[in-house]
Amino acid sequence: MISRDQVDSVLERIRPLLRSDGGDIELVEVIGNTARIRLTGRCANCPSAYMTLHAGVERVLRHEIAEFEQLVAV
Amino acid sequence: MRTPRPFSLDDIVIGRSPRMQAIFNFAKVVSRSDSSVVITGESGTGKEIIANLLHHTSARQHQPFVAVSCALFSETLIETELFGHERGAFTGAIRDKPGRFEMAQGGTLFLDDIDDVPLAMQVKLLRAVQNRTIERVGGTREIGVDVRVITGTKRDLRQLVDEGTFREDLFYRLNVMTIALPPLRERLEDLPQLIDHFVARFARARGLEVPGISPAVRTALARYSWPGNVRELENACERAVQLCSCGTIRTGCVAARILFGAPGPQALPLQVEVTAAPPELPRSVSLDDRLHEVETNLIGWALRASGGNKSRAAELLQVKRSTLGDRIARCGIATASPELSGGHDESEAGCTLSD
Repeated sequence: MISRDQVDSVLERIRPLLRSDGGDIELVEVIGNTARIRLTGRCANCPSAYMTLHAGVERVLRHEIAEFEQLVAV
Repeated sequence: MRTPRPFSLDDIVIGRSPRMQAIFNFAKVVSRSDSSVVITGESGTGKEIIANLLHHTSARQHQPFVAVSCALFSETLIETELFGHERGAFTGAIRDKPGRFEMAQGGTLFLDDIDDVPLAMQVKLLRAVQNRTIERVGGTREIGVDVRVITGTKRDLRQLVDEGTFREDLFYRLNVMTIALPPLRERLEDLPQLIDHFVARFARARGLEVPGISPAVRTALARYSWPGNVRELENACERAVQLCSCGTIRTGCVAARILFGAPGPQALPLQVEVTAAPPELPRSVSLDDRLHEVETNLIGWALRASGGNKSRAAELLQVKRSTLGDRIARCGIATASPELSGGHDESEAGCTLSD
């Protein structure tokens, strides 16, 4: 089981990049080893952002947290 | 077999870094000679572009430029590829076929990935370069070839000689002059200029307004290590232009691998110091600058197409000869003999250093 803090601390490192582009990433909830996130701000409206950021953020989370399983964008 | 991309000196962005400027200046000297040149550099650093540049600014510029990657062929295939074959030389050889040496007759032959040529083939290559004659596979007569040979390598040939996998005599024959291209990560100061160039090129090729690039994207691109060098940057820019839907290239248009780095021993370089994004305003476009750019490009095209003949260039552009003269002066185009800079300001000329 991963904690919300673990996921948040990784997201916190990704946020500056997104925020400087007018977007952001919100951690909705952590269930088991899965995290649900929401892309907000400019990212939410960009058709390309979902693919890129979802894939990229998931990869970072898997790399940083061994038990991490899945990232779901809602 | 590789079809060379149509080459234009206008496509070249050398970059302003001292290393690239030095290479550009050295290339000017090298292009005047007819000696063999070895171009070294990692994959994607632009070896073929430099070979093209050397050819198109040399006395051989009106003769063929033939590029071939030696890594693409097996030991037997490479021989027929380079030297050609006679009819009946082997099963399936139904007609005579000239090789790359003959196809480059009078011009320049760029042999890329020379470090992949097997030892047995190196002997034949040495003979061709040294005696300026080749023999087609299955043939008996010697064919004279007047070809300037430029080679490209991603590995240090000197080291291969020491290891015994590259013939020393061939090394000395090919390596009269060396141009060493730096990897992109060692000339990151050229990155902004290259990004702007590629983004503009891909946008114009698709008939789109050239998009802006967000500071966050510039930061992300600048801290990536670019293992694929300028070729990788070129592809990243193409992708970004394709994906951009809001007029500004933002993080969402850039591959995750570049944004977040490849998971590996290096810590993920996610901490960024990015200045607050400026308020979004529609980007202004200078009509005068854009028209000037179009005019300069068209005049440059007409002058090249007419071989520098201004009367003919004026006809191509459907203007009077005197009008063209005025416009040339206004655009500041140099019309003397085509120098390396292709008539452009050298600091602006540049090489898309990706091959």
